[in-house]
Amino acid sequence: MTGRIELPQGTLDLLILRTLLPGAQHGWAISERVQQVSSEVLSIQQGSLYPALHRLERRGWIKARWGTSDNNRRAKYYELTPTGKRQLEHETKAWRKLTVAVQQVLEGA
Amino acid sequence: MLQDLRYRLRAMFRHEAVEEELDEEIRFHFDREVEKYMRTGMTEEEAKRRARLVFGGHEQVKEDCRGARGTQFIDLTLDDIRYALRQLWINRTFALVMIATLALSIGANSAIFSVVDGVLLKRLPYPEPERLARIFLSSADYPKFPLNPFDFLDFRARNHSFESIAAFTRGDVQLSGSGEPIRLNGFGITSGYFRVLGIKPHLGREFDFKAEIPGNGLQVILSDRVWRTQFNADPNVIGRKITLNMQPFTVIGVMPAGTEHPGNDYHAVAYGESVDVWWPFSFAGNSNQRGSHFIEGIGRLRPGVAVDQARAEMNAIMSQLGREHPDGDAGWSVLVIPLYSEVVGASRRMLLVLLGAVGMVLLIACANTANLLLARASARQREMAVRLAMGAPRLRVVRQLLTESLITSLAGGALGLLLAFVGVRVLVALLPADFPRAQDIHVSGPVLAFTLLISVLTGILFGLAPALQASHTDPKQGLQQSGRTTTASRHQNRLRSALVISEVSLACVLLVGAGLMLRTFLNLVHLDSGFREDHLLTASLSLPHQRYKTGEQTARFYQDLVRSLSALPGVQSAGAGSDLPWTGYDENAGGFTIEGKKPAPHQDFHARYHMATPGYFSAMGIPLLEGRFFTEADRKDVPQVLIVNRAMAERYWPHEDVIGKRISFEDTPKKDSDWMTIVGVVGDVKDQPNSTGAEPAFWWSEFQVSESDMSIAIRTQSDPREVADGLRDAVHRLDPELAVADVKLMNQVVDASLSTPRFTFALVGLFAGLAILLAGIGTYGVIAYTVAQRSQEFGLRVALGAQRRDLLQMVFAQCARLAVPGTLLGLALALSLGRVVQTLLYGVSATDPLILAGVALLVLTAALLASYAPARRASLADPMRTLREE
Repeated sequence: MTGRIELPQGTLDLLILRTLLPGAQHGWAISERVQQVSSEVLSIQQGSLYPALHRLERRGWIKARWGTSDNNRRAKYYELTPTGKRQLEHETKAWRKLTVAVQQVLEGA
Repeated sequence: MLQDLRYRLRAMFRHEAVEEELDEEIRFHFDREVEKYMRTGMTEEEAKRRARLVFGGHEQVKEDCRGARGTQFIDLTLDDIRYALRQLWINRTFALVMIATLALSIGANSAIFSVVDGVLLKRLPYPEPERLARIFLSSADYPKFPLNPFDFLDFRARNHSFESIAAFTRGDVQLSGSGEPIRLNGFGITSGYFRVLGIKPHLGREFDFKAEIPGNGLQVILSDRVWRTQFNADPNVIGRKITLNMQPFTVIGVMPAGTEHPGNDYHAVAYGESVDVWWPFSFAGNSNQRGSHFIEGIGRLRPGVAVDQARAEMNAIMSQLGREHPDGDAGWSVLVIPLYSEVVGASRRMLLVLLGAVGMVLLIACANTANLLLARASARQREMAVRLAMGAPRLRVVRQLLTESLITSLAGGALGLLLAFVGVRVLVALLPADFPRAQDIHVSGPVLAFTLLISVLTGILFGLAPALQASHTDPKQGLQQSGRTTTASRHQNRLRSALVISEVSLACVLLVGAGLMLRTFLNLVHLDSGFREDHLLTASLSLPHQRYKTGEQTARFYQDLVRSLSALPGVQSAGAGSDLPWTGYDENAGGFTIEGKKPAPHQDFHARYHMATPGYFSAMGIPLLEGRFFTEADRKDVPQVLIVNRAMAERYWPHEDVIGKRISFEDTPKKDSDWMTIVGVVGDVKDQPNSTGAEPAFWWSEFQVSESDMSIAIRTQSDPREVADGLRDAVHRLDPELAVADVKLMNQVVDASLSTPRFTFALVGLFAGLAILLAGIGTYGVIAYTVAQRSQEFGLRVALGAQRRDLLQMVFAQCARLAVPGTLLGLALALSLGRVVQTLLYGVSATDPLILAGVALLVLTAALLASYAPARRASLADPMRTLREE
């Protein structure tokens, strides 16, 4: 568990969007998924996930509908909207550019 | 963008649904998390704790989600309001007490502010009123004096500071032609008078320079009111001839409604739409004789010219005139006073004092309400503790409580506004009749804004301390304590005591103020006026020169009138005088010669002058001190006689026998007929009830000098109103075309001259009463609260052998710890504020020890009374009950 890093500002949105790319998910699943794929290096306070979801919904990048979960309970599922998909592509590109640039600076030095 | 709006709207209007969904979503997450941990082998208990730790406080997360929705502010406010209304409803009595207290004090503030707004803040009803200024002369003997007409002409020709200047002087006229003749308030004005004021005639034009030439003056401008009431608003009235003072005047203009008189000093007419007609002032006589001063100046400054610059220039002109006319114009300086200060100057201090007083009432009400809230805050500790423990941020709790106090204060403000509507009516009715701009006093836009502002400020002021304090409740402690026995912290008790002490001290200040105003009022009521106002009917007459061309005719008229009035049944004595006491007369005669005496250098002998018929003094009830009154024998063809007042006798003939002394109005009297002989000395009558002393004055015999404008005084045995018809008949038998004006009782005149001090006392007294009541309630509240808190302690003390008396003493000692410092602080404050009110007082010093001691006694007694009931309750503490409860 050592070496967990705080999530940089704004990256939570990117991660949520990416997690939703394969299909609709409910909040708990998103939280589990993010933590799994990030090899438990990134620490996400679970509570901060929901305000982010609501913010993305307000911006129209994701939309919510009520469905039934695998254990037969009513759950709120989120999925990407077309604008959300575009936003994800855009942010992914921006992120790659940034990391490459930072990488170059670090290695060139 | 559209999505965003739809989302926010749904969040706002489907608020409940959105909240439920959020709740369900979070519960779902939490349950899955718990399941997850339980699958790893944790007990349910452990799993839940773990999940809570990872997730964070539910309430906090929900708040953040609401924040993300973008409707948080409105949501929270609506929430807070709903919650606050519920809380207020649960404690309705409590809420009602707070709202009523606030309504009374906010209402009083709004009402007084309406007066301040109408009188002091509203601009004068002229274009660019700040450029208007009044012009007076001033000398060592006469600090503020009217102008001489020829000086005025020179000022007008030579000055560069004013765009235009004009002069005006009171001169009522009698309108006849249809029915009984009526007296109209009239002013003689120079050309350009209305241009100075910035008001154009509604019909016709104003006077030109030609009208100022003697003989051209038979022109008149009508007021809107006279035009409507006397001439049926005839649009063709211009050019029509009307009969004024029995002469044909041509109407050349009609002023619009709202043409307000800027006020005048000399035979003053009230401010406002008080003038009926204007006639052209003409410059007759010898322009080298400049001793006579009777016109008042007003001017409109050029843009950018300051009052001081204008004053400097006018004084330079005055010095030139002093060199050109050394006998008349030397020794004078010019006063240029902004019109605003001239109009409201005298009332300003009184209104500001009232505003301060009523502001103190509001502060006391704030302190009281804060105290109530603090007391309740301890009762609500549990509620706060629960909310804080549930994860509500402290700021949220503060906001919540502030919403409650704001709702309370706004409700108080709304109710107060209703009170103000009524209060303003009452205030205006109570105001002295000549109060400047009384007609401008309404609950207006600024008053509404002021009420809203003070309501909000009040809400924050009394709500903030209790709210902050409540938000610092320690959740653990608050939850542990069970409802009934919660106790306030030491800090809270100290705050409450401080609030009561400040309430008591402010109430003290107001009581001292009320005491001073009461003494002032009583001093004026019980003042020896120098005359007897009871059983006295007065009226005024003005004989038109057209009909009464010679002095003999005038003298004959008044002689015949007084004779027939004296013969009326029930009349004790009747007479006529050039003026009545306390009606604002200030005519001076300067520069007379006293036989055998020389004035000090650069000074002259001067005194007020009046005229009187034989019966005047006995009708007025002015006592004869020496010599005799006038008789019918003091006529034109016999040596002139004078009656002087005691002030004149003492000023010019101290320790001498005054009867038989002579004065003259000739610079170098030669013949015997140049001298006037003093035949009597009468008692003093001051100009106004609150004047410091009587001015030296003398009377001519009316039958020797024949003044045509006289006031009638009739002293009766029974109700003087019964002779009013007899007076009219007597006048009309002599001259059917003469208007009898201003028929009133001397009682009314005296009453009117006392209305300002009565008004001030009534209001300050009312505020002081309110203040001591509120402070009493505040004291009671704190003492009763501590007694309730310490009831167990008292019970134990009784069980341990304390006497009831000891308990009473303990409670009264606590009361004294509040009341004594409060009183001392209040008296100190009152002493330091003393000089602010000194000019409003009469015959009493602002530091009057009797009043200070009386107030201290009153406040301490009130505090003891307020703590009597709680003290009794304490002394009846039941040891058995306490022991059972412990």
